[in-house]
Amino acid sequence: MSIASYPDGHLSVWRGRDVLSFIDGLSTNLCLDLVEGQCKHTTFTTTSAKVIDRVMIFHMGGFVACVSHGPHWEALLSHITPRILGQDVSITDATQSNDFYVGFNHDNEYNSSYSSENGVTIGSSIDGFEMIIASKGTPMKADSNWDEFDEWRIAQCVPWPGREITSKHHALASGLPHDVHPAKGCYIGQEVLTRMITRGKQGRSLVTVPNNEAKASEVTTQGATHSLVITRL
Amino acid sequence: MDCGTCETAGPIQVMQPEVVDVALTISDKAQTMLADAFGDDRSMALLVGVLSGGCSGYMYDLQIVEETDQSCQEITINGFRVLVPNASSHLLDGIEIDYVDRLMGGGFKINNPNAESSCGCGESFA
Repeated sequence: MSIASYPDGHLSVWRGRDVLSFIDGLSTNLCLDLVEGQCKHTTFTTTSAKVIDRVMIFHMGGFVACVSHGPHWEALLSHITPRILGQDVSITDATQSNDFYVGFNHDNEYNSSYSSENGVTIGSSIDGFEMIIASKGTPMKADSNWDEFDEWRIAQCVPWPGREITSKHHALASGLPHDVHPAKGCYIGQEVLTRMITRGKQGRSLVTVPNNEAKASEVTTQGATHSLVITRL
Repeated sequence: MDCGTCETAGPIQVMQPEVVDVALTISDKAQTMLADAFGDDRSMALLVGVLSGGCSGYMYDLQIVEETDQSCQEITINGFRVLVPNASSHLLDGIEIDYVDRLMGGGFKINNPNAESSCGCGESFA
């Protein structure tokens, strides 16, 4: 497995008896079924289904750990805090205590369970990469770099926050259909996404194309030979 | 992963909305339906709350309760006790509780002047 450092990773710790129902009501994936030892992606969206951030949540038993994209954190926080209302949810920021990495180029089967050993927690993404959170001071070495990770993402058509996953696009156009649960019920943005799915019209889609076929204004990540673009098919 | 439990950082300060003295009304039709639901037992109360979620961001939460552990305002209208949680009072000031008699989508309905938009099923608002 190749490992690249993810300096924009952000970790928040969510506690309280209402945490899972709170996340479930505000994001696209079914979260109520998450049990201790499991992790999954879910995406917070606006009422128009535009992405605020995609997060990976880990059920740690007494709390839920949420790995998000640092530059999106303030937007996510300002979206969720007015909605806590009287619910039993408290959030702490544990970013400074951890380092973040992504693992890719491996043959591991997707597994909704995460591993946690010697201060290193590894969660498997349905997109084929692994999110690695290591306590500060834990010996962990990146043997790859972000350019190589981008090349892998382009080949696998995997979106990333800040590149494909931005507030410009809705969750389906951003390449996050796995995050949109088909039958979980209402959440913010659900009406818009469900209408697109049932009508088979989602506007733009994330695709990998050769560089010479990519329209410059649609390129989100450019690689050596191919690019990721969000375009109308 | 270090969850920060041993660190001194406290929870993120949640935006605490201002607690508003809620004024609300209940339509005649809704009062008739509430009278059917409550019967002669007026010790029960109608809890009108707001939860996060729904297509538009906030969902109404209507319950008939004896009491609640939430900090609430109690309003009595024609003998009906109505409880409104302080945490969502800013979203519920001025509402009308109505009852819509329809084969599909009928039931109690909240007319909320604070709502900028509502979802198709009318159960959530923004």
